[in-house]
Amino acid sequence: MITQEQYRTRVKELLSSGTVKMVIGYKPGSTPDRRRPLFIRTAEEANRLVLDSACITNLSGYLVTEGLLSDEKKVAIFLRPEGIRSINILAAESQLNADQIIILGFDSTGSVVKTLDGTHAGDFSELLGSIKQNSPVKPSEVLFEQVEQMTPAERFAFWQEEFSRCIKCYACRQACPMCYCRRCIVDSNQPQWVNTSSHTLGNFEWNIVRAFHLAGRCVECGNCGRACPVNIPLRLINRRMAQEVIEAFDHFPGLNQTQEPVLASFKKDDSETFIL
Amino acid sequence: MTKILFTDKLHNCVEKWQSAGLTVIGPVQKANSSSYATVKNAGELDFNMVLPDRSIKELFFPQTEPILHYSIKKQEINTRESLPPNEPRIIFGARACDASGLAIDDPLFGWDYKDEYWFQRRNESVIVTIACTKADDFCMCTSLTLAPDSTKGSDVLLRPLENNKGWQVEELTERGREAFAKIADFLQESSEPAAPLAVVEEKFDLDSCVAWLKNPENFDSKFWKEISMRCIGCASCTFLCPTCHCFDIQDEGDTYSGIRRKNWDSCSFSLFTMHTSGHNPRSTQSARWRQRIMHKFNYFPGKFSVNSCSGCGRCSRQCPVDMGITETLQEISKLSQ
Ligand code: SF4
Ligand code: SF4
Ligand code: SF4
Ligand code: SF4
Ligand code: SF4
Repeated sequence: MITQEQYRTRVKELLSSGTVKMVIGYKPGSTPDRRRPLFIRTAEEANRLVLDSACITNLSGYLVTEGLLSDEKKVAIFLRPEGIRSINILAAESQLNADQIIILGFDSTGSVVKTLDGTHAGDFSELLGSIKQNSPVKPSEVLFEQVEQMTPAERFAFWQEEFSRCIKCYACRQACPMCYCRRCIVDSNQPQWVNTSSHTLGNFEWNIVRAFHLAGRCVECGNCGRACPVNIPLRLINRRMAQEVIEAFDHFPGLNQTQEPVLASFKKDDSETFIL
Repeated sequence: MTKILFTDKLHNCVEKWQSAGLTVIGPVQKANSSSYATVKNAGELDFNMVLPDRSIKELFFPQTEPILHYSIKKQEINTRESLPPNEPRIIFGARACDASGLAIDDPLFGWDYKDEYWFQRRNESVIVTIACTKADDFCMCTSLTLAPDSTKGSDVLLRPLENNKGWQVEELTERGREAFAKIADFLQESSEPAAPLAVVEEKFDLDSCVAWLKNPENFDSKFWKEISMRCIGCASCTFLCPTCHCFDIQDEGDTYSGIRRKNWDSCSFSLFTMHTSGHNPRSTQSARWRQRIMHKFNYFPGKFSVNSCSGCGRCSRQCPVDMGITETLQEISKLSQ
């Protein structure tokens, strides 16, 4: 609870001094285990903020919605390490100016919350570097292992079954900080690249598009999987893609703001004879 | 004495209905997600969940449905309408909110144009609702003038017995009576008492909310922006909602042949109102959220004299950012006091 108090005090300072125009954090939700995103503009509202281990949503996506940062004013935001990585990627992809973002960093182990030292994305590079070092080569999840062990045909059947439930609500896309495109490729109809229908083929198309467009950009914050109303285990796809990218390119997204996007960079001396 | 269907006879009933040509559908829990799905036998039905994650709507108005096949040759254009195959079915174990949702949408689908897809399935389906004996934090039928044992939209209402060994049977419509006549051999007269219904507290005062929404001054209230700041504009709430009914018509294929389909659409998407010019009359998420609330509790009742919400709670239960109809109407209740 010390952490929550520390942060409330800090938020009050930031708002009353006019350093930031808004703070994005968490407040209690509709059930004891739920937390909701909270946007506050005055110091008086700071006491509405909660900070505990149930604050899991990666809030960074709100920074790039509806021109929030277009007035060049600063915004403070509560972020876990994955959220800080998102800021770095958004900055590297020219979606925001990281100087405008004051980070209230935190992390948790069990129910214990700890603050992270630093205020700007650049201050956390050491921490992020060590996360890269310690990132698991293989996750401990049983289901992931099971899917890995499957034959291609079995794996196809597994995903066919999972994707058959998809209703194309695009909650996974909307919840993802990296899905900021003003016109998503699946919404484009001149030409219509991807069928809009939510039949098995259309669902496959969407989920494969999502997997590819997030490869090397996903920070595994879990927003997409938690958002999915039919509980498709999207984290398995994210994990697999993250693993591919680190194995093939030693690329761990979101380390800093100058990291080149792995699927959008090109080297003349690339050993491959083609690019995708 | 009441007519009772004992749980241990359900296997026989399902077989009987199936041999009479009915597809049997009911709540099924599968792969971490639940829905109303076709079952082969009674064992697949799950009566323990509060309600399925996905609503009954998709059985009548599927997320995607072919309506026309076309082919274009040099001198001729051929089109073939595609209606759903005839499939008489019984939906066993609907929830009162889901069944009510269908009844709420009937006038909509039959208003200026009679939607054959909807009504063919409506006419072919017997809806057997089980009154709820448990509810969760999100259930709010009672706030919408409904109840865990509402009969609206149902052909038969079953009340679970206190000893959990079966259901009291109340046949409500001719279609319901016919379906239950087929299983008459497996029904028994008995005086077993029904279990108490789920207690669902009223969450807001609907009348004052509706009055607030009807006041034109509130259309531009700053309330809309505040309440919907965190909405991420997905379609989870509209697609899971038993009464949301918007769809888009899309052609799949090419200039020479293809399929015209009817696909779910949602006013939460910015694309929903995007004009070809690029102008979007609902350019912000708050305008889109206002539309959802206004449509359900102002425009729809203005036209059909019923709110477009049955209180199933799915929009709040599943919302990725813990929003939903409930919170918004609770806040409006407060504003209008
Ligand atoms: S794809 Fe999912 S896990 Fe990855 S960054 Fe986006 S929301 Fe987070
Ligand atoms: S959130 Fe789930 S159901 Fe919705 S589009 Fe994504 S995968 Fe499909
Ligand atoms: S209210 Fe929730 S479920 Fe509905 S569009 Fe907004 S974020 Fe999605
Ligand atoms: S608006 Fe929400 S509570 Fe009402 S019927 Fe739709 S999903 Fe259920
Ligand atoms: S609330 Fe929106 S999606 Fe639902 S029926 Fe109304 S306009 Fe359509």
